Amino acid sequence: MAFSGALTLTDLNDFITPSQACIKPVEQTNLPEVADPGAASTEIKVDSAGGYYEVAAPGVKSVREPQKKLETAQISLNDCLACSGCITSAESVLITLQSHTEVLNFLSQNPPRSDPSHKIPVISIAPQTLASLAATISSTSSFAPISLERILRRVEAFCKSVLGFEHVFDTTFARHVSLLEHAQEFRERKGGKGSLPMLASACPGWVCYAEKTHAEMLPFISRTKSPQQVMGTLVKEWLGKRWNKTPDQIYHVSVMPCYDKKLEASRSDFYNDAYSTREVDCVITTGELDLLMKEKGWDLSIPVDGEHDTRTAPPHVHPSEQLPIVGDNGTHAQPETPQSFTIIPELITHPGTSSGSYLHSLISLIRSEAENPLELSVRAVRSSSDYEEYTLTEPGTGTVVFRGAKCYGFRNLQNVVRKVGRDAGVQVGKGAAGRLAAVRGRRKIAGAGGSEASSGAEKGYDYVEVMACPGGCVNGGGQLKPPAKSSGPSGVDEEGFKRDWESNGVSLDGEEGGWIQRQGAKWGDKEWTRTVEEMYWHGLTGLPTPPPSPRTGSDERRNSVEDKKAALADRLATLVLRETCQPQVQDKLSHWTSTMDDDAEARRRTLFRTQYRAVESEVVGLAVKW
Amino acid sequence: MAMEIDAPQFKIELVAELDGHNDRAWHLSWNPTRPILASCSADKTVRLYNYRSSPSSSSSSSSSSESLTFSHTTTIPTGHTKTVRSVAWSPAGTTLATASFDSNIGIWAQEEEGGDWECMSLLEGHETECKSVSYSSSGTLLASCSRDKTVWIWEVHPDSDFECMGVLMEHSQDVKCVAWHPTEEILASASYDDTVKLYVDDPSDDWYCTNTITGHESTVWTLAWEPEKGRYLASGSDDNTIRIWRVTGTPTTGVKSECVAVLKGHERSVYSISWTKGKKELLANGDGQQSLGWLTSTGGDGSLIVWEIIEHQDSTGSITIAHRVVTRLDSAHGVFDVNSVVWCPREGLEDIFGTAGDDGHVKIWRVSAV
Repeated sequence: MAFSGALTLTDLNDFITPSQACIKPVEQTNLPEVADPGAASTEIKVDSAGGYYEVAAPGVKSVREPQKKLETAQISLNDCLACSGCITSAESVLITLQSHTEVLNFLSQNPPRSDPSHKIPVISIAPQTLASLAATISSTSSFAPISLERILRRVEAFCKSVLGFEHVFDTTFARHVSLLEHAQEFRERKGGKGSLPMLASACPGWVCYAEKTHAEMLPFISRTKSPQQVMGTLVKEWLGKRWNKTPDQIYHVSVMPCYDKKLEASRSDFYNDAYSTREVDCVITTGELDLLMKEKGWDLSIPVDGEHDTRTAPPHVHPSEQLPIVGDNGTHAQPETPQSFTIIPELITHPGTSSGSYLHSLISLIRSEAENPLELSVRAVRSSSDYEEYTLTEPGTGTVVFRGAKCYGFRNLQNVVRKVGRDAGVQVGKGAAGRLAAVRGRRKIAGAGGSEASSGAEKGYDYVEVMACPGGCVNGGGQLKPPAKSSGPSGVDEEGFKRDWESNGVSLDGEEGGWIQRQGAKWGDKEWTRTVEEMYWHGLTGLPTPPPSPRTGSDERRNSVEDKKAALADRLATLVLRETCQPQVQDKLSHWTSTMDDDAEARRRTLFRTQYRAVESEVVGLAVKW
Repeated sequence: MAMEIDAPQFKIELVAELDGHNDRAWHLSWNPTRPILASCSADKTVRLYNYRSSPSSSSSSSSSSESLTFSHTTTIPTGHTKTVRSVAWSPAGTTLATASFDSNIGIWAQEEEGGDWECMSLLEGHETECKSVSYSSSGTLLASCSRDKTVWIWEVHPDSDFECMGVLMEHSQDVKCVAWHPTEEILASASYDDTVKLYVDDPSDDWYCTNTITGHESTVWTLAWEPEKGRYLASGSDDNTIRIWRVTGTPTTGVKSECVAVLKGHERSVYSISWTKGKKELLANGDGQQSLGWLTSTGGDGSLIVWEIIEHQDSTGSITIAHRVVTRLDSAHGVFDVNSVVWCPREGLEDIFGTAGDDGHVKIWRVSAV
């Protein structure tokens, strides 16, 4: 019995997959008919179009209509968020609220600019999405790797000329702001305000999983908004004011490597009650953007005019929209470089990981603030690039100053949850487990080995960059699949397994056929993930690996083009903070870390931070013995 | 219609009947190093029994066997909130693992000899009912499976610490049973999707499925490796058959399998099988054939069947597998289903096995010459 095809895609290695059928019941729209007890025998029939009918069982006479069409369960994203039935992975639910057709519907119904009810359509694209598109183009053509900037120009041209978007951004400046606030939060926690270790919050799959199964982890998860939601704040609160528009007069679409970002955007925390609008109105995946381009006949491998030009002033920006640039002292300064004229700096590199460099940005910060140079050592746990420990040590004394880890994939995530729970002494697990007789023994034994622990080797983590997908965001569930290999008999994957999508309830026909067929290649292909990772760094920096983290010493730091861009982003972020939080004493606000008055700090928290809540299991009652 | 029994010189006799569970008894496990038997039940407890040999009271029997006396020593309330479905001792016999429908795996040990059995660790991660748990032969790995379709592999660390080594999402339905190879780090899992899967560790990567065994026509409930060398794997199914698969290869080369025998004799689902190397003097060895020991099976028909599995080598060197029914017993737990059958692995007791039934009883049996 097939659910929608997506519901039965179970061969995702190490992704968080749904394991339970959706429990949302069909709402009864008509009153129950008075059934006479003898004739209650009916069957459910499914027609070729997937409609469900209740029909009389053979041999049962029915005086009523011969068959009755049954309601199909409609599941909104908010149902999913409130439910603990399945665990995350939004591709498993019937998404009606956020899809590329929804984007097209909106754009076709958006009144013209002259109309007062016109909404400004804005699209924000994640850098991992650009890397996925770049990797696909490079694999199907003989061209040299293409830069993410050129991909962005081409996508921008498509979004503006074909779809009618008025602004096209990438999300790296939002990420820059997110990293600044994230560092600020880490400082607060380090100073005693909150729990350590701090766990990354940018991965909505992880956040959703923690809320549903590991409520004890929630105090550790960073409250800083993800880049997508910071982008929402920037577009609707900050740019909106500059454009003289209220949040509901802007339609904001984001393109993400991840289906779970749709769930994130739907969270009530990111809903503006006053204007009845979300920070991000609609999230589409890389795959859906690709589908849009294909449907509209847009070939991304064809260059567009001016894609090699260094962007000076954006062509369509009215001079009044140009931003003043803030100097180091917080005053308005003359633009230093032509790039200053862009609304938002584009494609800022954050050295470290392709999943946002949350850990590396903290490491850089701690090293830059340390009195003496710190030694960084990296250890791959079980030689896995998905689980690495980073330790900062004072060379003289051997004192461990900071211990962090990057931890990607469901399996590694399990171990981090266990480790953090153990180190912090919190009860790990779901409600049922909480009632289990206290787990004894280990703590006693651990206490006995305390002398070892004091050497620092056993120091718990200060920070963990957690991502649910193995390989991180470049391997997100919404990314393009590796191009199908032409060799080998069709329907057989690299390991010789037959891929029988149709028997798994996946329809290969219909409008989604092309999308699903491309999944014939093994999902989570490691080689392909490496290609996208290389494309990510190559496209940003011209090198296939992440650039070295900025060294300590501010002189060196501001030298390269990248560093200048980062410095510009720092100053622009300060301007954003000032304009959105409106501190009473503006002159003192020279950096993101500057402390503002209480009202402004409260606004900072509303605009740049969020919260989490445990979802109680409702499934307990459905005890199935086998 | 009576089954034909090729050489009816054995019988299954009841040694002991252990009651005490207040609900159906699901599974049992013999401690490999000490005379302790553990049983688990839907009543959420684990019952532990000691046993000792004493000279047989009925001296008329020519059998060299002694009688076994069981005494209940303790009941672990476990704290699991639902049925304890499966129990497994570590090879060293110091640790007991429980798999529960509350989705957790419990790890139990005594802090000192004679002390209470305490929960040393709780392995969470499964979303729904855990069905089976198993320690690898070295005791360094633990596997568990669940209705959530996943198989988890944990590495056993000192101080009852565990690290998750793999979450294998290969099956498309419930996973019913996991069983480790007797010497190598090869794991087998059986599922409601009618298949058996074999997993090995890629040293430069993760655990992966190296082979999918198809052939059963319905749910595969149970697995048992040929206990000495692990060259064969037996599987019992809802299609009422037991199949024997020859498994070749190593963890480094990858593993292949082929069906070499289909054992037909049960009239209902085969819920549980267990394979013992057997008592040498009771086996059919010699003359181009080598006995691989006894396999016992049970299931929905309430019958116990003991099979002998024999490897034949002909003059050309080609090897075939033969099997015969050594003995059988119907209605082992009266009208109730028998859920598990487990041979005692301890030296000198290779003719002893236990069963757990829906009547809540655990019964101990001996296969002896008539």
